[in-house]
Amino acid sequence: MVEAMRRNTFWSWFWMAVGVLYFILPLVATFIFSLRAKKGVLSFLAYERIFQDANFWETFTFSLTVGFVTILVSLVLVVPTAYWIRLRLPHLRGMIEFVTMMPFVIPAIVLVFGLIRVFSGAPFFLTNTFVGTNALLVAAYAVLALPYMFRSVDAGLGAIDVRSLTEAAQSLGAGWPTILFRVIFPNLRVAILSGAFLTLATVIGEFTIASFLVGIKAFGPYMSLIGQNKTYEASSLTIISFLLTWAFMGLIQLFNRGKSDGTLAGAH
Amino acid sequence: MSYLSISNVSKVFGGVVAVEDFNLEVEKGEFISFLGPSGCGKTTTLRMVAGFELPTSGEVLLDDENITYKSPNERNVGMVFQSYALFPNMTVAQNIGFGLQVRKAPADEIKRTVDEMLGLIHLEKHAEKYPYQLSGGQQQRVALARALAIHPRVLLLDEPLSALDAKIRVELRQEIRRIQQKMGITTIYVTHDQEEALSLSDRIVVMSQGRMEQVGAPSEIYNHPTTEFVASFVGQLNLLPVREVDLQNGTCKLNGQLVRFDHSEPRQISDKPRLAIRPEEFQFGQAGDRNVVLGRVEVVMFLGAVVRLRVRIGEALVSVDLFNERNMALPRVGDDVTVNFPAHACWIM
Repeated sequence: MVEAMRRNTFWSWFWMAVGVLYFILPLVATFIFSLRAKKGVLSFLAYERIFQDANFWETFTFSLTVGFVTILVSLVLVVPTAYWIRLRLPHLRGMIEFVTMMPFVIPAIVLVFGLIRVFSGAPFFLTNTFVGTNALLVAAYAVLALPYMFRSVDAGLGAIDVRSLTEAAQSLGAGWPTILFRVIFPNLRVAILSGAFLTLATVIGEFTIASFLVGIKAFGPYMSLIGQNKTYEASSLTIISFLLTWAFMGLIQLFNRGKSDGTLAGAH
Repeated sequence: MSYLSISNVSKVFGGVVAVEDFNLEVEKGEFISFLGPSGCGKTTTLRMVAGFELPTSGEVLLDDENITYKSPNERNVGMVFQSYALFPNMTVAQNIGFGLQVRKAPADEIKRTVDEMLGLIHLEKHAEKYPYQLSGGQQQRVALARALAIHPRVLLLDEPLSALDAKIRVELRQEIRRIQQKMGITTIYVTHDQEEALSLSDRIVVMSQGRMEQVGAPSEIYNHPTTEFVASFVGQLNLLPVREVDLQNGTCKLNGQLVRFDHSEPRQISDKPRLAIRPEEFQFGQAGDRNVVLGRVEVVMFLGAVVRLRVRIGEALVSVDLFNERNMALPRVGDDVTVNFPAHACWIM
């Protein structure tokens, strides 16, 4: 029995080590490679060049801004929808979940061609203007972020007694805006932040839609361009984008840890 | 005209009748309980008063105002939920003050009311705590204070004590009654717990399958049930098959022995008449002019203050409750016993 347990523990550690190596080794290799921009020594030269490149900051700021606007649009669309489905239309939940999964099924290239085809001619001439194209990009990202945002918000709503909280607020005289902004939104803080960070991480590195709609202005196409032309800088960009994603994930964990576990304290 | 009037109210959910022709007049300051098993329509009726459900027909009048189609946030009706429904993102004080904030009451008035409510529920020291830092009983007290803080025209409580353990339930129900009487607030209390309804209410509405079975004071409901459902749902009831029923003289045959029953109230009697009697009406031994029957003890259960016996009388197995006395000699299983009960305590169904 003890021998069997020992053997199990060994294999557990073995497979965990294989898994870790599988994910970490390429990153470590990329990181070491990114330090070899100066011949013969390890240096952060590639990183310096990236950070000194005005295009890096321009494209990064652009994608960050698009990311924040996407989060805002997604929240306005998803939170009231998910809330209303939980409250009044629970029978539609399965169908809505299916719809929110569509971005996983439909390739981004199909989505962007569809958008360009529909919104570049009458009656919508969105691609003809700067604002219109950016709006289209945000709209496309809102669709792309739908699975992350909807699932996060829906899980958050599932963790609170939406119906009782709504009715309690109503019986105390609250109208719908008060219920949404003072009762529902604050109690979805962690869920909304999770969805928001996942959305941001997706938008920052997205390539297909961005390259067809705004080209090199966005961070994804910029990374691709660097990858084609500058060897060491491309590796450093990979590491930077990984760090950014991890930072977002870390923030989600941080906020999740801050959430109460709801344990009741003390006796009556 | 009564303060709250629920007239001919019915509610149908997709062809299923949840509430049927409900009529009730409630006086100001009265404490009314809706009592019945799950699915009897008591919560639906309460939710129609609160405005969370619209009646299929009928109307609800509050203080001479027709509120049938008024939205819940315009009714000024306080509600306490089984699940407490405290806002997790707000402290105890913020929860209590929420309704007043929504009404844009001045800050000093909100503070004064919150302090007053905290005093009322004895939770002054917990004002800055969040709901998850309180016990179930404390949370429900906060929910009560929150509902009362807006000075509602009617207070509605939907099984508020169901999620609490027995001891706290008893304590809290006394507190609810104390606060209700102190504030003189008209209250409707939904419960499936007969003890709660009997101990709290001025009047009880017993409901079954969407219909009102009986409305009356607790003692009236218990001592003079008008239907078999009320008789068996409120308290325990023995139903013993009898023969040769004489309604004129109030006599029948139970296990071959002549038994007298209360025939002062006209009652509907079924094809198979049965003698109804509460377990606590029985005594052992011969006793004056009381009915006397013979039986055999099959079960003895010691419940503390009460000893419950199951006695076979003819083909029926009846429950007999005796108050425990310190030096009482309890019958044993298999003993043949003589059981007596008064004629005025039993009736035919």
